[in-house]
Amino acid sequence: MYNLELDKIVKEIKKLKAKRVLIQLPDGLKPNAEQIVDYIQKSTNSKVQVFVWLGTCFGGCDIPSNLNIINIDLIVQFGHNKFDKESW
Amino acid sequence: MTKTIFIDAKYSEEIGLTNEVLNYLKSNNIKSVSLFASVQFLNLETIKKQLKSEKISIKTTKAKRTNKEIQVLGCNVYEDSFKTNIIKNSDAILYIGDGLFHPKAILISQINTQNKKKIIQFNPVSKQFRIINEEFIETEEKRIQANLRKFINSNKIGIIVSTKPGQNFMNLSLKLKEDLEKKGKKVFIFVSDTIDLNDLENFSFIESWVNSACPRIAIDNLTNKKIINIKEAFNPTKFISN
Repeated sequence: MYNLELDKIVKEIKKLKAKRVLIQLPDGLKPNAEQIVDYIQKSTNSKVQVFVWLGTCFGGCDIPSNLNIINIDLIVQFGHNKFDKESW
Repeated sequence: MTKTIFIDAKYSEEIGLTNEVLNYLKSNNIKSVSLFASVQFLNLETIKKQLKSEKISIKTTKAKRTNKEIQVLGCNVYEDSFKTNIIKNSDAILYIGDGLFHPKAILISQINTQNKKKIIQFNPVSKQFRIINEEFIETEEKRIQANLRKFINSNKIGIIVSTKPGQNFMNLSLKLKEDLEKKGKKVFIFVSDTIDLNDLENFSFIESWVNSACPRIAIDNLTNKKIINIKEAFNPTKFISN
């Protein structure tokens, strides 16, 4: 019903040669996490570690920070588009 | 360096108004609508055609912080959240999407307007429609007003700053702190990532709180915490209605 564009994600992972990917889902899409993780792992021969963000996903304004500690190469946030923060 | 991409999860089926909605528009003599939708439901060609054939004019605008015309965010809660004030010149608002979070923002953006326009919400998944009018935000309106009055009369203020990059307004918060200190108030800055209003409980010496992160944190406040948004905090009397 909603297009999760999983091929686009795999393409991006390959382009970036990402090793660790974090997927972040709004509550309505959280039940899809299994399907998403399975797809990414299958399409990358399990060479990529896929993690699921446990916390909030309120909008494009709500990207997890301080991820350097676990070396995430790519965050994929579902359900929103790019957020243009004001500069004030 | 971490890269971020967004998958907006577009609804993959055709979105068209039901006869029930079209009849409602006709029988209520609605000749023009401001059209808004959440990001999943921006493919509105069918709806535009339907409205045109009913001779209903469609007004659209780009809301702040979005990057698509028609799209609305939960933080678009001020009159100036929209590039042009299309609502003022429409008979009603047509919102395509589910839930109350987004339509509530559109209602709250009209809080200081005399002639508030109702929202006709069409949920493209369930095909149901409902009318959302001022009654839906009565509690919020009252609370905003009460908390503004309390803020003006408070001497110890806590400003809340989120470390979420999209919601971080530390510089603005420091500016407010300076402003309030000039007025003789004592100001503390509190920092958190996700803001849980229950955490404010522990700092009972704070008389009023200012939220600098997502404005919905203060507006949808389900606690009895005295909290206002930073936009109002610079000039609270401007936002107090008589």
